[in-house]
This record gives sequence, structure tokens and C-alpha cells, in this order.
Amino acid sequence: MKNSKKTFILIETVLAVMVLLFALLMLLEKNGQALEKVSVIVQDSDDGQWAAFKYGLRMAAADQNLEVAVISTGGILTAAEEEGLIESEINNGADAVIVQPSVDSDAEAMLVRIQNNIPVMLVGCTASCDAEKSTIPTTEPDHYAMGRTLAEELLDDYSGKLEGKSIGIVSETESSASAILRESGFRDRLEGTGAQISWKVADTFEEGSAVLENQPKTDFVIALDDSSLVAAGACSAANNLHGAVLYGIGNSTEAIYYLDTGIAECLVVPDDFNVGYQSLTEVAKSLRHLFHKMEGKTVSYTVIRRDELFTKENQEILFTMSQ
Amino acid sequence: MGKKYFERLKKLEPKQIQSTIMAAFTVISISIMLIVGIVLYIRFFNFSRDETIQSTRKLMEQAGENMEDYLVSMRQISDAAYYNVIKESDFSNQEQDIQKRMNLLYEANKDNLRSIAIYNNYGSLMAAEPIASQKEDPDVTRQDWFVRAMDEMENMHFSTPHIQNLFDDGTFRYYWVISLSRVIDITEGGDSRLGVLLVDMDYSSISRMMNQINTSQNGQYYYLCDSTGEIIYHPRQIQISDGISGENSKVAAQYKEGVYDERFEGERRKVVVNTISYTGWKLVGVIPYSSFTHGMINIRYFIIIVMLLTAMMLVVINRIVSVRISTPILKLNNSVMDYEAGEKPEIYIGGPQEIRHLGYSIQRSYEKIEVLMKKIVLEQNERRRSELDALQSQINPHFLYNALESITWMIEGGRNDDATFMISQLAKLFRISLSKGRTVISVRDELQHAQSYMNMQKVRYKNSFSVEFDVDESLEQYCIVKLVLQPILENAINYGVGSMDDCGEIKVAGFLRDGNLILSVSDNGIGMSEEEVRLVLTDSNRIHKQGSGVGLVNVNNRIQLLFGKEYGLFVESEPDEGTTVSICIPAIPFTEKNRKILEQGYRFSREEMEEMIAVGDVEEDEKQ
Repeated sequence: MKNSKKTFILIETVLAVMVLLFALLMLLEKNGQALEKVSVIVQDSDDGQWAAFKYGLRMAAADQNLEVAVISTGGILTAAEEEGLIESEINNGADAVIVQPSVDSDAEAMLVRIQNNIPVMLVGCTASCDAEKSTIPTTEPDHYAMGRTLAEELLDDYSGKLEGKSIGIVSETESSASAILRESGFRDRLEGTGAQISWKVADTFEEGSAVLENQPKTDFVIALDDSSLVAAGACSAANNLHGAVLYGIGNSTEAIYYLDTGIAECLVVPDDFNVGYQSLTEVAKSLRHLFHKMEGKTVSYTVIRRDELFTKENQEILFTMSQ
Repeated sequence: MGKKYFERLKKLEPKQIQSTIMAAFTVISISIMLIVGIVLYIRFFNFSRDETIQSTRKLMEQAGENMEDYLVSMRQISDAAYYNVIKESDFSNQEQDIQKRMNLLYEANKDNLRSIAIYNNYGSLMAAEPIASQKEDPDVTRQDWFVRAMDEMENMHFSTPHIQNLFDDGTFRYYWVISLSRVIDITEGGDSRLGVLLVDMDYSSISRMMNQINTSQNGQYYYLCDSTGEIIYHPRQIQISDGISGENSKVAAQYKEGVYDERFEGERRKVVVNTISYTGWKLVGVIPYSSFTHGMINIRYFIIIVMLLTAMMLVVINRIVSVRISTPILKLNNSVMDYEAGEKPEIYIGGPQEIRHLGYSIQRSYEKIEVLMKKIVLEQNERRRSELDALQSQINPHFLYNALESITWMIEGGRNDDATFMISQLAKLFRISLSKGRTVISVRDELQHAQSYMNMQKVRYKNSFSVEFDVDESLEQYCIVKLVLQPILENAINYGVGSMDDCGEIKVAGFLRDGNLILSVSDNGIGMSEEEVRLVLTDSNRIHKQGSGVGLVNVNNRIQLLFGKEYGLFVESEPDEGTTVSICIPAIPFTEKNRKILEQGYRFSREEMEEMIAVGDVEEDEKQ
């Protein structure tokens, strides 16, 4: 009789605990509809070069059911400005941030501090100039390979005969990891070909392309990023590039336009759609899986020539840039 | 192995009736509840699935109609441009007019249009709206829309989405369009030549329409493909082309309108297909099976909670029912167990009628057992006492003293023959008294014993009374309890004829009546009153004034212990006339077997005794 009573109490207790557990789960399910919020901070976010990246973010947000907010930034940010923006986003409820690091030397240390609180994913390039020392996961194309590919294309066009040819190099900055790697990739491949790097310009071109116009005449101008390519393209369109043939790395419709109109000879286009898509997908995994260690991703790039600009594959690249 | 598990299972079987009832009720009720819950859930799931499919079909029909309207409007623009503008005009002298009318057409539909352009059969631009500079070398004749129009001149052709590669508007922008192309007749200077009319529809109009229906968060989506499975719109278009995800569009393009079940990339899903007329495009709705249960998690939890609460309630009800059913049985069982353990509580009587009746029955049984046990103990005690008394009577010292004194007196008086007779009678008396310790002897021996006793008593009483034995020889072979006549004769002498002078008579008679053997001792002594007669057989505490001290009560008890209550002594007496004491016993032939059976006592040999009586009756009948 006593055993029976004990069993009865035990069964009722177990059932009651289960009822409470499921009621709790039900409540959590009802309240758990608030989406995780990820803030994205990139330099000059309204620039056309981010169109594919933003489209990638949007698609990943839809796939992962996340809320993503791209913070509007007018121009180039310092590390301190970037930190201020990140702190403000964290205070506004951001669960993770995707950041294009500032070129400042203290950016890495600042981002490591932030990383202690919330997941941080870098896009575009590492915060540290020495990519191997960077501890923060980064989603980026292989910058060195892109620089090297650009040189390959140049060599292909001239059957490897660049002896005596002069080259000018343009980039937005010379201190970012991406710029350093792209340039070294380009230089490494041209080594021993006889081509001469006549000048090198690093400028944001916010004041126009006068700095390019004032450079001495070269056979080729190599733009290592989208802003530089667009500036060089504009300069060339205005016949101020002294007839130099333009090669470059770009990911905006402006860059494509210069290729389409024959102003640029060859374009290396990083897959920015996947930079956005993969970075946000990785962040989503880290937010949803407690023991998931966020990892950096390397995305691909495409070499586009004018005559193959409208192939099916390249039209899709254009599609992502046109969103 | 199976046997081992079966044994383990057997060990788990509840032992108590309450546990059994509760376990059975619980298993049955929870099984029913589970079955009902699962059936209801499946019904609900199926209903929800059918509803989802129906609503998807309706939504797709609506979207399909919208898209058809849009495409029809594009065709109407193409028709209007062709029949109202191109066919009625000559390009050589009406270029301005053509441009103006095309502009009107464009302006009226520019929300959905990117451009309207007319090319001749060499791919040269004849007119375009909005006016923009043509690209340096767009190579129109190699573009897909131009090739298809020229290949099938009688039809209009809708292309898949592509970047418009015709004009440079200086905005650095590239437009994603769907081209509607057809071959036209161009009149130029009175000559007719072929050309192609191109209406570029803004892809954003179609993507907007599709985006409007692609709002579901549960994994359900819609896409548009052409008749070859080439994707026109897909919410994950770039992911598909990048290989991040896939789509079964090639197969879907083969489907006719309807609902299909398919498994793609390991996922089961319903595919609803709607064909867009004229273009052959397929509007495909994909409903993964997981989306049917999406949003039903809370319903699942709710159903589980309801089931758990019902289970809790059922367990309580089951317990109440099982307790109500089993408590009276358990109480009855406990009282019986206590009784068996030696305690003597009242047997529980309560609960439902059946249990109450059972309680009453058990209680009555125990009471009867109790009484019977007492009776048996009493009878055993009486039997022992009677036997002891009988034993005492066998060696009554007073009787022996008298007998020996009489013999001494006879020897001293020179009456040696009488002394010899007395000694021989005494020897017979003792031989039969002992009878090897047997209780049942033959009537012959009992009569011999009685005769020996009376012979000795007659010597003692100097023949002051006479004794007559009138027993048929045939009765001597029946069974009788030993030493039952002697106490009766002793009483007859002591209380009847002992005090009479020469006229005392004692008669011992024997006969059969109704299958019973009757041995009677009659005297003509002083007799007894009715009250005394009644007390003779009931008052065992009467003090014997004379004799061996073995009363008639003892004799009666001994007979009844061996033959049953219906047998024994019957006393008839009349004051001053005499007394007759009759021994009534069943007429059972004396054999060794019968003797042994009878010596067990009537309680233990009742059935055999009844058989023996029956056999005795038969033998008696045969003799007669």
C-alpha cells in the first residue's frame, strides 16, 4: 500500500515536472521570436562597391533568419571612430558585428577587445598588416593571388614582353593588409619581366583625380582597389591618364562600365556577394551554436575581359552589383 | 534470452490487487489517450497540410494571373508598337512621327518597361525609346533575343532575364531585363524589309511580383522558370548559381499543372506547378514538409501538455477507482491474514455487496471452525476421561477386595468349588476387561463379561436377586463398546435390586430393531422419578453412593463417541416398578476391520460406519 502510494506520488511528480517543462518551452518559443541582430560597419558603406556585398548579406540574413543592419558611414573611418560605432551598435542590441577594419595600427587591439564581448567577423582584409598574426576571423578574397593574377593578365596581353614598359600603381591606401598583399602579389609576378614601376599613388580620391593627372606618363596604370579603379577610369575617360592602359581590381558597376566602354582593359572582380553571404552565415552559426568556433573564409575572384562581360556567369556578377 | 526477459517481466508484475488494477487502468487509459492524441494530431497535421496546399494554389493562381496580365500587357505594347506605329509608317520620311508615337507608348508604360527598340535585319538600330546612345558595338545580331526572333518569325519570344547590352545612358548602371522580341516588316522608302521589334521589360516588375508572394518565413517559396527549367526568378538565385544551394527546376519544368510530391537534396517536399500561358513559363511553389509543421511547435507542446495533464488526471482517477475497489478486498485480506497469524480481530465486513457477503461467509466459516474445534477438543477430552474412568472401573479395588474377600470366605468355609468358580469368573472378568486394550469387542464377550460380573455379584449378594440373560446367539457376532453392560448392571444391583430380599430380578435382553442392536437391562427394583431419570444421563457430577463410580453418563458418552449422537442409553423407569436401561447401537458385524474403524470414533469413521451399517442391514435381511 505504501509502495503504491509512493509510486503514485512519483508518477504525479514526474508528470507535473514534464508539464512545467513543456509550458516553459512553449513560453520560450513564444518569446523567442526576436531575431538576432548583426551590425555591419564598412568604410564608406554607401559606395557602389558594396552593392554585391550588401546583397550577399541580405540573402544570408533571409537564409539564416537574422536581422542585419548596415551602418551608414560617410567615408574612411579611424579605429576610434569605428570603436565608437561598434560600441553604439552593441548598446543598441547588436549580437555580433561584421567590420571592415580601419587601417589604423591600433585597430586589431580594439577589435580583439570587442571580440571578448560579442562575435566579430572582419571583411575585406585583416586588421593587422601581417595577415598571419591576425587572430580575428576574416572573410576576404586572396589579395595576394588577385595582385598576382592582375600581373598575369598584363603579361598575357603582351605575351610576357614588358621589357621597358612603365607602370603606375594606384591604391586607396598603402597601409591596409589587402593593399600590401595585392601589391606584393603584383610586384612578385612582374619581377624579372623588365617592367618598371614608375610611380605609386595612395589616395582616397575624395578631392578628385588630380593626383593621378599629375603623375608622369606610364604605359600601364594598375588600380589595386575599386575606388582607385573608378578614379583612374574617370581620369582615363577624361583623357588625363596620358594614354596609359588601365588594369585593375574592382567590384562596382562603375568599374564594370569602364571595362565595358574599353577604358579598362582587364578587371579582377572579387566575389563580394560571397564575402557578405559567407561572413554573415558564419556569424549566424557562431550565435546559434555555443561551441562553434568562427572561422575566416576565403572567397573567389573572377577575371573579366570586355568581350566576355556578358557571358552568363559574368552577368550574374553584374546582377549582384546591380541590386 | 527471451525466457530471461520474460522472467524479468514477470518479476515486474504488480503483486497487490490495487497495483494491478491501477497498472491495468493506467496502461489502458494512457494507451487510449496516446492513440486519440496521435490520431488527432495526424488529422490536424493533414488538415493543416491540405489547407497550406490549397492556399498555395490559390496564391499561385492569383500570382499567375497577375503575371499573365503583365505579359499580355507587354504583348499589347509590342502589338501596339508594331500595328499602330511601325506598320503604318515609313521610316524614310516618318522617323519623327514614329519616334513620337513610340515615345507616347513608352511614357504610358514606362513603369514596367526598360526600352522599346526597332532593329533592321542587319541589326542596325532604326528607332529606340527612351532615346539613348547605342553602345559602340553591341553586336545585336548575335544576341539571343534577335536570333530567336529571326529563327521563328511567326512567334513572339520571351527571353530569360539578362543584362541589357544595347544602350549607354551614362549612369554606370546595368539593367536586368526580359526581352520580348518579334520579327516585323519595316517599310523604308516604300520597300518592305524584315526587322526585329524589341520590348525590354524591366525585370524588377517580375521580381517585385514574385517578392510579394515570397514572404513566407517557414521555408515555403515560389520561383519562376522557363519551359527548359532555366530559372527566371528564384529567391535564392545567386546561391543556386554559386552552388550554395540547388533547385529541381529542370524536373519541375516537365511537370504539368498540379501538385507533386518529390524528394530533393534529401528533403521531402510538395511542389505546386502553375503554367503561365503563352510563354510556357512555370510558376513553381515549393512547400517543404518541414514547413507543414513550422509554427506547429507550440501546438505540439500544447497537445503534449494537454496529454500530460490528462494523464495526471487519469492517474488520480485510476488511483481513486483502484483504491475504492481494492480497499475492501485488502481490508478483508488483512483481517484474514491477521486471523491466520494468530490474532483474532473481527473479520472485515464492508465495501460493496459482494465483498460484504464474502466477509460474512468467511466470518461464519471461522466461527463454525471455532465451534467445531472446541467441540473436538471437548470430545477428545471426554473420551480420554471416559476411557480413564472405564480403565478405573476395570480395576476397581473395592470390587476386587469384595471378590477376593468372598473367595477367602468360601475357602475358609470349605466351599472350594464355589471358590474355584469365583476365581474362574474373576479371571474371565479381567480377561475381557483388558481385551488387549481394545475398546470395541463382540457382544458375546460383553455378555460373558456381564455374566461373570453378575455371577460374582450374586455370590456377594447371596443370591438375593436373580439374573436372566435373554440374548439371541445371532446377536453375539455384532460389535459393542466394551464394559457398557457392567455399569448398568452395577446400577441395577446398587439402586434396584440390591436391597430387595430374594425377589429381585434383573433381566438382560437383546434384540434387533430398525437395524439397531438393542441390549436392555431391566430390574424390578425401586425405580426412579422422571426427574431422576432425566438426570441419570445428563448430570455427570452425581456422586455415586455405591459401586465402581462409573455412571451411566460415562457409558452413554462412550457409546456416542464411537457410534454418534443418535445412539446411546435410553432409560425408562417407574417408581416402585423398576427400571429398564437400553443400550442402542448400530448393528455392525464384529470383524477386525470393523473394530478398527469403529475405534477411531464416529467423527473420523462416519462414512465407513454408515457403509458398515448398510452391509449389516443387508446381511440381516438375508438371514431373515
